[in-house]
Amino acid sequence: MAMASRTLLLLKGAIPTNHRRLLFTRNFVAFSNSIPLLHTKLDSVIIRSCSTSKSPSSSSSLEPPDLPRLAETARISLTPQEIEEFTPKIRQVVDWFGQLQDVELQSVEPALRADTDGDQLREDVPETFHNREALISSVPSYEEPFIKVPKVLNKESE
Amino acid sequence: MLSTTAQSQLCRLRPIPALKPRPLTTTSSSLLTDQSPPSTSPPPPPSQILTLRRSLLSRQVTAVQIAESYLARLRLTEPHLNSFLHVSDSVVREAQSIDDRISRDEDVGPLAGVLVGVKDNMCTADMPSTGGSRILEGYRPPFDATAVRKVRELGGIVVGKTNLDEFGMGSTTEGSAYKVTANPWDVSRVPGGSSGGSAAAVSARQCMVALGSDTGGSVRQPASFCGVVGLKPTYGRVSRYGLMAYASSLDVIGCFGSSVADTAILLNAISGHDRRDATSSKREVPDFISHFTASNTLEDKPLEGMRVGLICETLGSGVDSGVVSVINAAASHMEELGCIVKEVSLPSFSLGLPAYYILASSESSSNLSRYDGVRYGSQAVADELSSLYGVSRAEGFGSEVKRRILMGTYALSAGYYDAYYKRAQQVRTIIQKSFKAALDENDILISPAAPSAAYKIGEKKNDPLAMYAGDIMTVNVNLAGLPALVLPSGFVDGGPFSLPVGLQMIGAAFDEEKLLKVGHIFEQTLRGRRFVPPIIEDDNTC
Repeated sequence: MAMASRTLLLLKGAIPTNHRRLLFTRNFVAFSNSIPLLHTKLDSVIIRSCSTSKSPSSSSSLEPPDLPRLAETARISLTPQEIEEFTPKIRQVVDWFGQLQDVELQSVEPALRADTDGDQLREDVPETFHNREALISSVPSYEEPFIKVPKVLNKESE
Repeated sequence: MLSTTAQSQLCRLRPIPALKPRPLTTTSSSLLTDQSPPSTSPPPPPSQILTLRRSLLSRQVTAVQIAESYLARLRLTEPHLNSFLHVSDSVVREAQSIDDRISRDEDVGPLAGVLVGVKDNMCTADMPSTGGSRILEGYRPPFDATAVRKVRELGGIVVGKTNLDEFGMGSTTEGSAYKVTANPWDVSRVPGGSSGGSAAAVSARQCMVALGSDTGGSVRQPASFCGVVGLKPTYGRVSRYGLMAYASSLDVIGCFGSSVADTAILLNAISGHDRRDATSSKREVPDFISHFTASNTLEDKPLEGMRVGLICETLGSGVDSGVVSVINAAASHMEELGCIVKEVSLPSFSLGLPAYYILASSESSSNLSRYDGVRYGSQAVADELSSLYGVSRAEGFGSEVKRRILMGTYALSAGYYDAYYKRAQQVRTIIQKSFKAALDENDILISPAAPSAAYKIGEKKNDPLAMYAGDIMTVNVNLAGLPALVLPSGFVDGGPFSLPVGLQMIGAAFDEEKLLKVGHIFEQTLRGRRFVPPIIEDDNTC
C-alpha cells in the first residue's frame, strides 16, 4: 500500500556491523544522555562527557520518575493502565536506589567494568558478513534494496 | 545386541533409580570408572561425559542410543517441567553422524554425543532464538553464538533452547513470555532464574549439560534451586558473541552439569579468546580438569591448608535458617578435608544490590534499544515511525523488561547520571577492592547462592523488590567480574518434598581451575542423599 512518502532507512548494500550501527542509529537521538555501551575508547569519552554539572546535592532534589516522559524517551508506548501500575513500582525501586546517595564516595574512581584484561580491539577494517541472505530474510518489511519503515512525522508540523 | 556390561553402562547414563542400602566397603570411585562404588551412602555423581566417551569409543553403546534415551526422558518430563522453548528435530541425525565417524575410526571431539541445552538468549542459526520475548518471536539468527559454535565443533549436540526470564531479567523464569518452567524437585516451585530452563533440564536429566548466562546470579541461583552444579566464569573467560546482551559489563555465559567434572569439561569447550568479543580475554585457558584428583586416590586431608573465607554478611538476618545450617555443615565438611575456615567480612556488601540494579537497568535500556521492529523480530502496524517503535516495543516486551528499561532511562538521564549511574560505578570499585583484599587472605570465599531454597510459583511475581532482594548473594560477584561455582550441598524441608541448597564458592579472577578442583573434591567426598529429583527417581527404563 503506497503512502504519500516513506522514509527509506537503510540501503541493502550498506548494512553496517553491530558496533557501528549503535553509533549511527536514532538511538543516539532518542537517548540524548544515555550511553550505548561499546567497549571502545570512544565509549569512555562519551561517558565522561555525559556527566553533568547539575549534580543534585541530595536525593530529595531529584525529580521522581515521570513515566510518560521516560516512556517517550525509551520509545515504548505505555497504556494508561501500565502507567498507573508501573509508577508506584518504579518509584519504590528508585527510592531504594537512593541509599547510594548516603555513601561516602568522594575519592573513589568509577569502574567501567570488571578489571580483567582491558580492551582487545580488532583492526578497523570492514568485513563482509557471510550470510547476508539470512539477515535480509529477517527484516519484517523489505522492498529490495530497502528496509521499509513508515514516514517520520516532524513534531513541529503537527 | 548390547552386552550386559554395555546395558548396565547405558543404565548408568540414565538417572539412577532410588538406591537401596549397600554393604559397608571402602569407597573406590575414580573419575573415570564406570563401576558404581559400594559405600555406606549413595555414590557421588561420576562424570557422565567421560563415561559416555569411554562407552562410545569402545563401541559398547551408540550415540543414537544415548540420544534416544535422553529424548525419551525429555518427552516424558517436559509436560510437567516446560524447560524448553524449542527442541531440535535433528538430534538423532547428528548422533548418527557421530556414530558413523566412530565406525570409520575417525576422531570425534571431547563432547561427541553429549546432549547440550542452550539458553534461548544465545543465538543458534538453525533454531528460533527468542530471548524469552515476544519481540523476537520466530526470529532465526544468521549465526551461531561462539559458545554454541564451539560446542558443536567439539561434537556436542544442541538438543534445544531452554526457557528463561525475558532477556535474562528475572530470578524465577516466570518472566518468560512463553511459559513457566517448574522445578523438578517440586513442580509447584520455581526453578530459579533467569536460566531456569537450563537448570531444570540438567536436573531432570533431559540433557547432560547446559549453557546459561549469569548477569546477577542467573546461573548460580537456579543451580542452587535445582540441585545441580552451576559455574559462572570470570568476565572475559568466555566470548559473549551471540549472547543477547542484557548488561554488557556484567553478562557472562556459564555452564550447568550434574557434576563438577561435567561442568568443567563444558567450560573447557567454550572458553577462550574470540576476536568478535572485544572484552574476551587473551589469557591462556588451562585444561580445567587436568588437576582433578580421583577420589580413590585422595589423601586423608586433600585440601590441607586451604584458606576458606565464609562471608559473614551472607548468613545474617533474612537468610533461611535451613540454608544457614546447610552452609555451616558445608563449612564443617571443608574443615574435615583440611581447610581452614574463617569468617570474613566484606565491607559495603549490601550496597552491591542497588548498585547492580542501577547498572543493569541502565545498560539494558541501551542494549534493548535495538529491538525496534525494523530489522528483525515482531513489527507492529503503524503509520508513523516513532509509533512503529513505540507499539512494536510495547507489544513485544513484557512488564519487567519495560520497567527496567524505564528505570535505566531515568538513571541515565541528564541530571541523574551522577546521582545514580556514576555512584553505582563507584560502588563497583569498592566491591572489587574488598573482594580482592579478601581473596589475598583466602584461597576461596564461600556463601549461600540464595537466601532460601526454591519458593512457590507466583510468590514473588508482583513484588519486584522482594525478587531483587534474593540476588544479594550473587550480584557482587558479577560487579567484581570473578568466577564462582555453585554445587549442591544439602537439603531443606519444603513440605512434602526436600529442596536442594547449593554452596557458592568464589575465586580470584581467572582461577576457575582452583574452584573446580576444590569443588570436585567437596562433591566426591560429600555423604548423604544423591541430588536426583523425585520426578525421575523412579525412571526404570534401563
